[in-house]
Amino acid sequence: MRVMSWDKHGRLHDIITWPEREEVDKYIYTPGLHGLELAKALMDGRILGMRCSDGKVYVPPKTFCPDYSQGELVEVKGPWRLQHYTVVYEDLYGNRLEKPIVVGVIKPDDADLGMIHIVNVDPSAVRQGMTLRPVFRPKEQRKGTILDIEYFEPA
Amino acid sequence: MSVSKLPGTKLSSKEMYSLPGLVESAPQAKYDFSAGPTISRFLQGLKEGKILGRKCPRCGRVYVPPRDYCEYCHVALTNWVEVPDTGTVHTAVVSYISVRRERLEKPEVIGVIRLDVPGYPPNGYEFAGLFHRLCVPPEEAMSDEVIGMKVRARWKPKEQRTGSILDIECFEPVR
Amino acid sequence: MGMVTNLFVKDRVAIVGAGITTFMRRALETPRELAWEAARMALDQAGLTLKDVDCVVIGSAPDTFDGVHLKGEYLADGSGAIRKPMTRVYVGGGTGVFVPVSAWWHVASGLCETVLAVGEEKMSPAHPHPQYVFRYIWDPIIHRPLEPNLIWIFAMEMRRYMAKCGAKKEDIALVSVKNKRNALDNPAAQVAANITVDDVLKSETLVWPVQELDISPVTDGAAALVITSENVARQVTDSPVWIEGVGFTLDNQHWENRELAFPRYLNYAARMAYRMAGIERPWKEIDVAEPYDPFDYKELHHIEGLMLARPCEAWKLLKEGYFNRDGELPTSPSGGLLGVGNPIAAAGVMKVAELFWQLRYEAGKRQVKRPVHRAVANAWGDLMQAGTVIVLGN
Repeated sequence: MRVMSWDKHGRLHDIITWPEREEVDKYIYTPGLHGLELAKALMDGRILGMRCSDGKVYVPPKTFCPDYSQGELVEVKGPWRLQHYTVVYEDLYGNRLEKPIVVGVIKPDDADLGMIHIVNVDPSAVRQGMTLRPVFRPKEQRKGTILDIEYFEPA
Repeated sequence: MSVSKLPGTKLSSKEMYSLPGLVESAPQAKYDFSAGPTISRFLQGLKEGKILGRKCPRCGRVYVPPRDYCEYCHVALTNWVEVPDTGTVHTAVVSYISVRRERLEKPEVIGVIRLDVPGYPPNGYEFAGLFHRLCVPPEEAMSDEVIGMKVRARWKPKEQRTGSILDIECFEPVR
Repeated sequence: MGMVTNLFVKDRVAIVGAGITTFMRRALETPRELAWEAARMALDQAGLTLKDVDCVVIGSAPDTFDGVHLKGEYLADGSGAIRKPMTRVYVGGGTGVFVPVSAWWHVASGLCETVLAVGEEKMSPAHPHPQYVFRYIWDPIIHRPLEPNLIWIFAMEMRRYMAKCGAKKEDIALVSVKNKRNALDNPAAQVAANITVDDVLKSETLVWPVQELDISPVTDGAAALVITSENVARQVTDSPVWIEGVGFTLDNQHWENRELAFPRYLNYAARMAYRMAGIERPWKEIDVAEPYDPFDYKELHHIEGLMLARPCEAWKLLKEGYFNRDGELPTSPSGGLLGVGNPIAAAGVMKVAELFWQLRYEAGKRQVKRPVHRAVANAWGDLMQAGTVIVLGN
């Protein structure tokens, strides 16, 4: 009969554990080719999308299309509509939020696919398909990231 | 390749950190590694001032650091044996940089020590050994004589041993 | 230990296109975009489009460099893998050659006819320094308390090789000189330079005996290959490069229990690949090689593991110019990792791409002087563990 090698003493304190933390202090991510153009546009208060050879427009722009060609940058003006949404009650660590947040997929009429962002509306008042508009932070606070748009609000 | 310019956009350090749209994020993962029953017993042995190895009941090979299964027989290892804390230096190097790639104040001498565990052919490919510090000054570590030099473990005093590989302070030459 | 492999190959497999990005210290592109740039170049060279690709193989080493987990999935759309079967492979640095090896078996099994194989690595997001990530591969209990830097393990191997084989630092530094000089003719190269042995010996000593110019740099980059069945290859090109043999092996993690002067893990993988390719005397039958060279002594180590030279003889042959581009058995004509750069997973793919161009006589200024029919590339990974080998022929 083969004996398993796990010396089963039944005493948990025989096992020694070592605490460790993640080895990298922080990550700095570059925006990428189209991402850089989007960053500049966001700082300017505009949103860009990408048009592919089949005519579809993607927001935000991703540099390459599903058929592998490079997409063409276009400006996306809206109007924006809420396609799907969910209401978030807890933060990443499981703590209850003071005020629940509505997060949704928001699609502009002049694009085929939408982007994710926060909708500044009371959970009881949110409706699928409702018209929204982006609200940008004050110009001095913009850094070129997606957070330059503070939220979308009902238009 | 026939292309004259390859794809890819180079950035200098200055260019990268002044880009708009940079995103920073700090990971939050913390880990609690379990040593497992085998290594826990090994560390316990270190706390008692002994180097323990584990023997295969079929081929008799003694593994240091100990394993759960014999690599060749695929049989569960059972017996614990105490092995001598003496050996010879297999290789030795001198480090001037820390884990974080910063310059160290005092260079560290580390190496692989081939322990005097019976059963392995003297110049064989495999042996029982440990990766640890050597208590020799850097100049001696860089000399030819250090390879094959006889060494013995220098243990920390009993009160300072906690059940870790650092319970051995370093391996010192047997003079 | 004897090794028995049950090898039955249904279909011949060929590489028909290759692409690489510039290798650089920091790239603007996101990892997806790097993969896309390399893959597109490979497809363009093969004259194929994404529609023709059946399956995709992605190789990318630790997620902790890029800072995006589930990297295979993340890179998927950059590698054309949306709505296609996708496999991600990872054996540390060995990934680079493991990517075409894996693509090989996708085709050889009959499952896919055209495979896009992509290797990508973006190391620059990790701060304060990407090298700190390597701390993570040591055993947490019996190695990490000693606070080892990854360079320690290379230094220990290098010292053992020097002690056992009688090689000196000046002899080993010739590899760095050769590769960085070869890289001057490589448009992708990050650190090509015309240096001398003196420059290497005067560079900063990091972990004696390893000095700054003995090491390959931190790099962002991607490389891709298009690998197809014989059927597709004959339609697409009149000079396919056949994958004649593949080999891969993993040794244990206890490198402190092994003789460090000879890479046993690589030798087993090489024997597997040579057996498949029908090569009995590699030192005679191989015309050009790309041994993995993250450090200069590693190239010599791997040359011996690949049986292109007898154990402890490689450094002597190097001195005679045997491994130069105009020598008997040119190694690293691309400039290798020491000259072109080391994006962990993509580096091996770059080496295979170089052999692809060499075997088609398309390597331009880097073309080796002697006729080439058979080539071998290898990659190595983890703590002296993973050996991956590929043998190509035209």
